[in-house]
Amino acid sequence: MNRLLYGFVFLATLVLATGMVVAAENSFVGSTVCRGCHPDVWMNFNKNPHFKSIASGDLPKASTGCEGCHGPGKNHVEARGGKTSIGAFSLMNSRQVIDTCLTCHTRDLSRGNIRRSEHTLADVACNNCHSIHKPAGNARFLLAKRQADLCYGCHSTVRSQFAMPSKHRVNEGFIQCTDCHNPHGTAAPTWRAGIRPRMVDHALANEEPCLKCHSDKRGPFIFEHAAVRVEGCETCHNPHGSMNKKLLRRPTIMTVCLECHNGAGTFGRTNTGIITQSASHNLTDPRYQNCTTCHVRIHGSNSDRTFLR
Amino acid sequence: MKIQFIIALIASFAAAIAQPVVAPTNEPTGPVRGKTIFDDYNVTQYFEVGYRFRSVDGNEGKYRSDVNFSDGLRLLGSQLTLHSKAGHGKYFDELVMSTQGLGNDPYQFASLRIQKNKLYRYDMTWRSNEYFNPGLTISNGQHLLDTNRKLQDHDLTLLPQSKIRFFLGYSGNSQTGPALSTTQQFDSRGDEFLLFQNIHRTRNEYRIGNEMEFFGIKLNWTRGWDNFKEDSPYASNGLNPGNNITDLTTLSSFKRAEPYHGNTPYWRVNLIGDRQKWYLINGRFTHSSGARNFVFDQTAIGTDRFGSAANRQVILFGNARRPVTTGNFTASIFPSAKWTFSNHTAITNTKMEGDASYREINNSTLSDVLFNFQYLSIRTISNLSDVTFRPAKFIQFQGGYSYSSRLIRSVQEVNNPPLILPAADEQTNTTNSGRFGLRLTPKKQLRISLDSELARSDKPIYTTSDRNYHGLGARVQWKAKNLTLSAAARSSYNTNSSNLFVYSSRGRNYSFDGSYNARTWLSLDAGYSKLHLETMSGIAYFAQTTGRNPSFIEGDLSLYRSNIHAVNIGARAAIRKRADIFFGYNRVQDLGDGRTTAAAGPNVATVQAFLIAQTFPLSYLSPMVRFSLRLHERLRWNFGYQYYDYSEKFLALQNYRANTGYTSFTWSF
Repeated sequence: MNRLLYGFVFLATLVLATGMVVAAENSFVGSTVCRGCHPDVWMNFNKNPHFKSIASGDLPKASTGCEGCHGPGKNHVEARGGKTSIGAFSLMNSRQVIDTCLTCHTRDLSRGNIRRSEHTLADVACNNCHSIHKPAGNARFLLAKRQADLCYGCHSTVRSQFAMPSKHRVNEGFIQCTDCHNPHGTAAPTWRAGIRPRMVDHALANEEPCLKCHSDKRGPFIFEHAAVRVEGCETCHNPHGSMNKKLLRRPTIMTVCLECHNGAGTFGRTNTGIITQSASHNLTDPRYQNCTTCHVRIHGSNSDRTFLR
Repeated sequence: MKIQFIIALIASFAAAIAQPVVAPTNEPTGPVRGKTIFDDYNVTQYFEVGYRFRSVDGNEGKYRSDVNFSDGLRLLGSQLTLHSKAGHGKYFDELVMSTQGLGNDPYQFASLRIQKNKLYRYDMTWRSNEYFNPGLTISNGQHLLDTNRKLQDHDLTLLPQSKIRFFLGYSGNSQTGPALSTTQQFDSRGDEFLLFQNIHRTRNEYRIGNEMEFFGIKLNWTRGWDNFKEDSPYASNGLNPGNNITDLTTLSSFKRAEPYHGNTPYWRVNLIGDRQKWYLINGRFTHSSGARNFVFDQTAIGTDRFGSAANRQVILFGNARRPVTTGNFTASIFPSAKWTFSNHTAITNTKMEGDASYREINNSTLSDVLFNFQYLSIRTISNLSDVTFRPAKFIQFQGGYSYSSRLIRSVQEVNNPPLILPAADEQTNTTNSGRFGLRLTPKKQLRISLDSELARSDKPIYTTSDRNYHGLGARVQWKAKNLTLSAAARSSYNTNSSNLFVYSSRGRNYSFDGSYNARTWLSLDAGYSKLHLETMSGIAYFAQTTGRNPSFIEGDLSLYRSNIHAVNIGARAAIRKRADIFFGYNRVQDLGDGRTTAAAGPNVATVQAFLIAQTFPLSYLSPMVRFSLRLHERLRWNFGYQYYDYSEKFLALQNYRANTGYTSFTWSF
């Protein structure tokens, strides 16, 4: 029995000692050691947002400088380099990359839904868009390219939409994709059925981001056009770009309106269909084909329930 | 390498090889080392000053609506950076300022970041857009807009690296400028008259907040006040015969004042807790109590559609309120490196309520009518679950299920003076959606993604809403050091038919992209997309087919077909490190349903106007070339030319061709 006890104590001591040796082998060496072999990275690291971790001088070694992301560097130094002896992002899978970055960034407000974002579910990791050592442009977000080009890299059809005649001015540099989208994921939308879209950010605490700029369409109005509030602006508009004027989904106004305003039963707020137009509207007369010539307040009105003023 | 970094820094204004706007210039000036000032700061600067020119042949209004670049001297781009070498500057550690298009470009932009570690961080963006839209196809040019929109955001964070941080913020948004609008008088069958409108809208949002950590949980709260104000006067120019000359309605005098002010104070509270690599939870609560106060006073004098004298005054005042409350809770757990479970629950409650008095006075008879308010509320509860499983390094499965229940309550008045009868209704729409996806990485360079989604809604609110929906998507990407190739396909189908009406939509998108950096001096980029959309909607309308009165047409169909092909090509070459040349080409073309004239096509709709409208073939192309010559290691001369051609196939009224370009000097140190 004593032999067994001694044997157990010996083994436990051995395991602990081995662990300590391994820990010692993987100890931190400090960023100044990294500078010796990676001067190109170090020379401009003071322009990198991560330089704060060094400049602050009071963070633990595991969160400071190069080793804050790549892990302890002693093995790497003793092996005289090599990707397998250090935390090299090029060898990590997307989950490992996200885990590493979220060590510090997980509690940022804008990343609260990153684990369920479309990008994460599609196996897109942080370093698909961010370049920590060689960012393009100003280093504010460490983006690998100009923001729109990063997005276009996968969303080719969106690039095509922004090349259409009627579009939001992303290519012209006036707005950016992140004015409306959060690439790190968002909470469920407060419009439509509350399921899709998943990457459109909420503006003004809880509304569609369109209203951030188009605040005159926001209301509240005495007479709301329910389409705007219930299903959102994209009921009638293509937000990225359209071949039609005013980003509309159809080339003429009357087809935009009539596809809902057809009186089909079981639809609408009252379950009796969306109301058809008045019997005075002769659709063969061009006068009635541009609905918004009379229904000028189509997004909502305070003085007329058919949005005439 | 430092030089390379600075070159990359200078290329901040646009890096895309297929950049669709010719200026500012992409090409960097050359090796810039920056200078050391005040012993501790490294400073770099970059300016591009040049002259834009343009000539337009065709519909200039449409050109201004789509492109809008004009002649003149511009600060096309600039950047200033100051960085403390040790990270301990006296007043700041970092200052980065950049601008684009200053000096009258229609799209102007400026940003500033200034921060001192541990003490403060300030971010500012300022944007200005000259927007022109003749509104030709919307309302025959009677809803013209020629406005300027300015946006600005300011955010100050105090103690940014502390466990207790404070936030202050301001956002401004203004829209000003002349516009046209229309008004219909004197009843719902009257004529429309042109109005002049001097748009003046402003929005100011102020924010204050705080973030603190305790016991591993981060609490973040924001209190905001969002004020909106519109004071846009309207005017009509004397005796106005109206749009329809056969109509006897005339307008001889018109006055409208419509001040519309309001504010939306809001709260936003977040709680985030995590144990790294085990779980992440995030709770969020927001409440905004939007309100608008308004007065509407309109007097119109003229003749009605029977030719009798009309003198109508509409007075309206009241308050509209729309409180919106949301609650979200996200929980993600990671039981192992192979599994991720995530669940998101959201509750949203929107109510539109308020009070208002509407008084319409016929000044000749002194009669009036009172209307009351409409009520609309939307309550949505949704739950979204996702799971990912990676059994091996090269494969990952992804699945999800979403449930949503949306209750819409509505109270509308039935106006039957002197009685006002409320009509209350409610309906609930339930949506169930399932998703499945597969990610494959058989080689490091090769990624394959497959996605599918199937959704069912039992009571969608609109005929065009999703009811029986399914989507399929696939994407393949090969990404090697110098070569990237990708192909993607996505299709989505939705049917939403009732017993008498039909709605279905079918969208199919395909894209192919390639990027090849052949040499350090040569790179190529090309892409092709096809966006195909077909919808079929049951429509009902009145049309005067025979006889005097319009008859009700039921069971007709609105068929819409959009068949868009888009191509983009970019090629860049450097000549002996001295000159750079870039060629780009963009073309977007909607072939419609293949018809060559407006009148031809499927004989489904009774009204010929529908046949014309259902497909709208046009092409929009924009080739460009840019040449940049290095005169000195800090100085470049640039020249660029971009051509625009907009061409509609049925009507040529909006077509235009435009020659635009610029020449500039880029200087940096």
